[in-house]
Amino acid sequence: MLHIRPVVPEIIVFAMACVILLADLFWKRRFKGLMYGLTQATLIAASVTAYGLRDPRARVVLHGMVVQDRLSTILQIAIFALTAIVLAYSRTYIVERGVFRSEFFVLALTGVVGMCVMVSAAHFLSLYLGLELLSLSLYALIALQRDSIPATEAAMKYFVLGALSSGLLLYGLSMLYGATGSLEITRVATALAALPRHDLVATLGLVFVLSGLAFKLGVVPFHMWVPDVYEGAPTAVTLYVGAAPKIAAFALFLRLLVEGLHGLSGAWQEMLVLLAFLSMAVGNIVAIAQTNLKRMLAYSAIAHMGFVLLGLLSARVSGYADALFYALVYAFMTLGAFGIIILLSRKGFEAERLEDLRGLYQRSPWYAWMMLLFMFSMAGVPPTIGFYAKFAVIEAAVSAGFYGLAVAAVLFSVIGAFYYLRIVKLMFFDAPVDAGPLRQGRDLRWLLSLNGIAMLLTTPWAGTLIAICRSAVRGLP
Amino acid sequence: MVSLSQYLILAAALFAIGVVGVFLNRKNLVVLLMAIELILLAVNLNFVAFSHFLWGMSGQVFVFFILTVAAAESAIGLAILIVLFRNRRTINVDDFDTLKG
Amino acid sequence: MTFESAVFYFFSAILLGSAAMVVTIRNSVKSALFLVLAFVSAACLWMLLRAEFLAIVLVLVYVGAVMVLFLFVVMMIDVNMAVLRQGFGEYLPIGGLVAVLMVVEIALAVSPRQLGPTRIAASLVHAPPLHMSNTRALGVLLYTTYVYPFEIAAVILLVAIIAAIALTMRRRPDTKYQDPARQVEVRARDRVRLVKMPTEPKA
Repeated sequence: MLHIRPVVPEIIVFAMACVILLADLFWKRRFKGLMYGLTQATLIAASVTAYGLRDPRARVVLHGMVVQDRLSTILQIAIFALTAIVLAYSRTYIVERGVFRSEFFVLALTGVVGMCVMVSAAHFLSLYLGLELLSLSLYALIALQRDSIPATEAAMKYFVLGALSSGLLLYGLSMLYGATGSLEITRVATALAALPRHDLVATLGLVFVLSGLAFKLGVVPFHMWVPDVYEGAPTAVTLYVGAAPKIAAFALFLRLLVEGLHGLSGAWQEMLVLLAFLSMAVGNIVAIAQTNLKRMLAYSAIAHMGFVLLGLLSARVSGYADALFYALVYAFMTLGAFGIIILLSRKGFEAERLEDLRGLYQRSPWYAWMMLLFMFSMAGVPPTIGFYAKFAVIEAAVSAGFYGLAVAAVLFSVIGAFYYLRIVKLMFFDAPVDAGPLRQGRDLRWLLSLNGIAMLLTTPWAGTLIAICRSAVRGLP
Repeated sequence: MVSLSQYLILAAALFAIGVVGVFLNRKNLVVLLMAIELILLAVNLNFVAFSHFLWGMSGQVFVFFILTVAAAESAIGLAILIVLFRNRRTINVDDFDTLKG
Repeated sequence: MTFESAVFYFFSAILLGSAAMVVTIRNSVKSALFLVLAFVSAACLWMLLRAEFLAIVLVLVYVGAVMVLFLFVVMMIDVNMAVLRQGFGEYLPIGGLVAVLMVVEIALAVSPRQLGPTRIAASLVHAPPLHMSNTRALGVLLYTTYVYPFEIAAVILLVAIIAAIALTMRRRPDTKYQDPARQVEVRARDRVRLVKMPTEPKA
């Protein structure tokens, strides 16, 4: 008897993707918003199901392919919620850009299935297939606005580098398979423990696996695709790429490095120190030179992923919880920042230059305050939630003894504060250049406001949220 | 008798040719995609060799799935290539300069 | 040298030679054909490794379908190859050096000394059952233990279909085509207009 209960959310999402594909064929002309409504209903149903099926004990099912634990449940619900918000933000945007097609929603949902498979993978094979399902959906989503030159160029760059990094990851996995004889993550961990300390085959595998993973997360020196994809893709797709897939890529680190390769933690800690330092440095410094808002946020994403690694490289359970908390907070901050870009854009006009934010306070004080909250949270200014997240990961690095790196992190976040505060200055103290009206759907306005207020109002419960993250990673070694 | 190491070194050489090919052919996207196919072939050779000499069938199953995914990946890659070509009338990577910063 | 190692060296030489040609030759069509040669020699090596089913799949799927797709695309987009290969030679020595270094490093890690005798001994435990053919053994595994990845692979193929169609299918405005549904739905009043006219008075 197969135990398919843990994968019911994935099944729901995929089944509904097929329904949407068919519904498009028959009822496209009659009901305009049908695809959108069905997609949102699917995501809500899937998250309710995932919550209902939660199980405090970890269970490995389907012949060791899938693990259901608190980590997978929390991450899946986060992925559903993030994607639902992304779609709500981008509804008007994609209608105006002519991408409001059923394929957009179907690919968004298959990407969600891929992410769910990734976060609950207990086997190299399900991990790889989930990753590819997500990647293929993303390549297609980016290129979906097919008459746009920047979008198709971005898709091609992402595709080539993505395929290359999958190759590196696979080469590493094949070496690990050779060294340990298993593809099941827990068995790999046991076999590694029995190996001599510096087994060259396993270390070689680790190096390639880590390069592949670093690419997927977008950390320096594997970050070349991030700015181009963020800038070139339609903002709605950038929003999608920048939020939930980061969480899924982070989950890959937890599943592969922490769960599978804990025996090599000494080796991967050293490599992560380098990656984290370079990401924070390059991300924060290069972001200052950007004039394109989306590109600036891309470099900011690289820097934030460096901070996430800061929590991971402590190789302790409390550090993993801090990193998880940081990744989740970052996803919601980035959602808000790109939401503001969508709010300011309209048909035939993309508000993606820094100039376009000038004088936002005079055009709409409320959204200027919201953007201020997102920027403060990203910069880590107290009392926003972003401050607590930064504080937690830096503390994790200190408690693991990486003092130099912690000092560097503080330094780089001060440098980073410069370009976030520059946006605040542009919004509040400069005269507006673009005077077009802000007309967007009511769902975007309400959700964006909620998202912004959450940056501030969740702060008193930061402790509770971190405790939830702790409970999620408790099972990790 | 051919040993496991010989197969692994062969795969390593193939992998290296693929990686270097990606960087050498930065201008021609079609050949770049072929270089990526070479990398995947090297990975597959690794898995088949490990599975034959050491660990039984699981490596071969993995190869089966890599072949499936690689076919899907080529289909999407070539589709993007065609869309790009319709927009720009070129596949020279140097001409893709819309995104710079 | 035994027969087996002679076969191994023969096909390895062809594999590496054709792989090198794929990434260095000037003409994309020839690159694709050399890639076909590389796949076929890899399939022969897999036969040596007793992976018969995968060897056949490699030839059928890769040479038969994927490479034909590549050739089709190469032929369809006619580009000036000379421009694409400009400045190619200057990177070749560095590229070659990097490749050699990489192979030497990996070779050191996978030398027989590193692989160790313990792992070789483990092979006896995992040896596939003798009474089963390779194809049968793979099939049994695929539909039992690996049924979940199998389903996800199906989803991946569906995504590839949807993406390829969504990206490249276009309605050309100048093509004339019939829509049978609209032909059937047509009513008499869409085509014939009955006009009531007063009869003309007799002159």
